[in-house]
Amino acid sequence: MAYALPLRTIASVDSDGELIVRTADGDGSAFEELYRRYARPVFGLALRRLGDRNRAEDAVQETFASLWRSAGTYRPERGPGAPWLYAVARNAIVDRARRRYEPPVETPDEPADEAGPEEHAESAFTAWQVHRALEELPEREREVISLAYWSGLSQSEIAEFLAIPLGTVKTRTRAALMRLADLLEELQ
Amino acid sequence: MNFDELVGGDDLTPEERARLRHVHDLLVEAGPPPDLPPALEHPSGPPADAEVVHLPLPRRAAAAALAAAAVVAVGFGIGFVVGHAKEKPTSFVTARVVSMHGNVPGRFAVLNIGKKDAASNWPMELTVTGLSPQLARKSYYELWLTKNGKATTSCGTFRVHAGRTTVRFSVPYSFKEYDGWIVTAERTGGHSPGPVVLTT
Repeated sequence: MAYALPLRTIASVDSDGELIVRTADGDGSAFEELYRRYARPVFGLALRRLGDRNRAEDAVQETFASLWRSAGTYRPERGPGAPWLYAVARNAIVDRARRRYEPPVETPDEPADEAGPEEHAESAFTAWQVHRALEELPEREREVISLAYWSGLSQSEIAEFLAIPLGTVKTRTRAALMRLADLLEELQ
Repeated sequence: MNFDELVGGDDLTPEERARLRHVHDLLVEAGPPPDLPPALEHPSGPPADAEVVHLPLPRRAAAAALAAAAVVAVGFGIGFVVGHAKEKPTSFVTARVVSMHGNVPGRFAVLNIGKKDAASNWPMELTVTGLSPQLARKSYYELWLTKNGKATTSCGTFRVHAGRTTVRFSVPYSFKEYDGWIVTAERTGGHSPGPVVLTT
């Protein structure tokens, strides 16, 4: 069975790095495209770290204000744009987190079984990349992925909900996974 | 969810299957992306005090760059609404979509928000799935805007029939003041807001 990719190809889209460079030159449309791609991943990252929607919202605003101010420091030869943007977001979120007084806690005698900072950081970056890639999916593919993974619906139920054949659900799901694989490889 | 059920078929090469399996695992690990609060749907634009540091430009080029920046600034923030708007057969023009989920499997909703009309009202179309139909005439559901997750402003009430139900609302509120939506189960004469059945 063949699964045709849509007309829009990854190569035809400006890379994150190109958009950052254009933002540094004051290109508002490039900034807006970066916002479209990253607002949700930044908000997700902030929610994980801050655990509060209002503060996470502020962190998103600060991240993009910081992006606008510091885009000129991005050097394309040092790597792709996604990790650089991740660093900008992380700094803004950490800055936001420090603004709230947090009383010191006693250090436990025994090492905890819970994931440590490295595991948390890796997990956060994975979510960042996945949520970033999801933003690039066509709406109809993002819809089936969301329903399949996070709504608890079976594929038959998805077909019923969307009023499309079960085969179409399967086709869109596989096409979405293939596209996500391409996008995630490109982001790394 | 079962990976083999999702991708189906055995026409994939082992390499392709492994590749998709990796994406599947990443999706499971990442979890769902959050819904953006209404205030974050659009970029607020460059901060007023923002400065972009440039290398010195010849005066003519600098003037051209300033003019270009002014043009860009005028169009700033418009792109999302225009870019995401799509015409539905029922002529409801969706500017953005908010998904809502319930606390039981199969219970969810999609809230389509239209463009603000000439009278500054926001049209909304809510499609709910999996909510129990009301047996008592006194029972109904209510859509609320929330602050800090708590119901503060009612957007309207509705009843459902079996399966999926679509209802429309029109509200004059500024969404920037709120952080989400919830649907509660209500009963005439009962304590309001009632129990939350759907949330963003």
